[in-house]
Amino acid sequence: MSAGHRQPLFKLTKMNVIGILFGIMFGAVLGASNLHEYDTIHNMLSLEEIDVFLFMGSAIAVSAPALWFLERRGFATPLGGDLKLSRPKPEAHHVKGGALFGIGWAIAGTCPAPALVMISSGAWMGLIALPGIFLGLHLRERQVVRQLSESVPEESVPV
Amino acid sequence: MIDVLPDRLPWFIGGPILGVLIVGLFAVANQPLGASGAYVQASALVRGRHDAVVWRVWYFVGLFLGGVLATVILRESAGVRSGYDALREAFPLGVAVPLVFAGATLLGYGAAVAGGCTSGHGMCGTAQRSPASVTVTATFMATAIATTFILGILTGGAL
Repeated sequence: MSAGHRQPLFKLTKMNVIGILFGIMFGAVLGASNLHEYDTIHNMLSLEEIDVFLFMGSAIAVSAPALWFLERRGFATPLGGDLKLSRPKPEAHHVKGGALFGIGWAIAGTCPAPALVMISSGAWMGLIALPGIFLGLHLRERQVVRQLSESVPEESVPV
Repeated sequence: MIDVLPDRLPWFIGGPILGVLIVGLFAVANQPLGASGAYVQASALVRGRHDAVVWRVWYFVGLFLGGVLATVILRESAGVRSGYDALREAFPLGVAVPLVFAGATLLGYGAAVAGGCTSGHGMCGTAQRSPASVTVTATFMATAIATTFILGILTGGAL
């Protein structure tokens, strides 16, 4: 966000409070809905059970019209300026990334948010998935930085 | 401890609540309720990067705490276990652990390439009617379902 020194971690800012509160609520909904269980995801992806599709679908059915309405009204958010939705066009990296993500999701039976809840619930193999997710994200970050440093001068590399 | 939650919150309650949370974070802070970005910021913070977005780290912590709230406090369902019963029945531990790690790495890498995961693209992006997010979501659903069926065939129906 801002250049120079990092924002302090232990500072009671509105954004930090919003961050932890929304994290807690999101994590609690995932845990209450058993999305942190391998079986729930596996039964969804083997099409034995449609609950998770309905869960995701109903979340979108509630949020899409509300976001459309707020954006149309030119809603000013208290902490983030005017509400601006992002609607980029699909590119090759979306298909490539999505394809790899799906394969990994099916094998690991979890994804970034539920993996944390998996650990909360005492599932020790969540401690195998978590560093894997970090590693995957990190490998891509390194790849991008390397590509950038090969194509543009050093000082314009985002840090 | 309090044990008030059902064994599994039905989709028609959990899904709409999640929809409200998606709208809520946009309405308050103009930010998506994604998860892979929180991993990126948590890892940036741990590596001492000055551009780490601190509120996303609190959000990351919140996801874990929300999991504790749902699976330990509001419903006594937590306990030390692998969390991967079905996978453990299909494979010995020496295969299951590297498999989950590899799957998690792949999904982390894929999420970084695609610019988001099940929450960022699958729900928040789709709710914004982003063509890129719809593409990512359709792609990862397709490859995840295909991978699950292939796993089922390879394990002779054990998975």
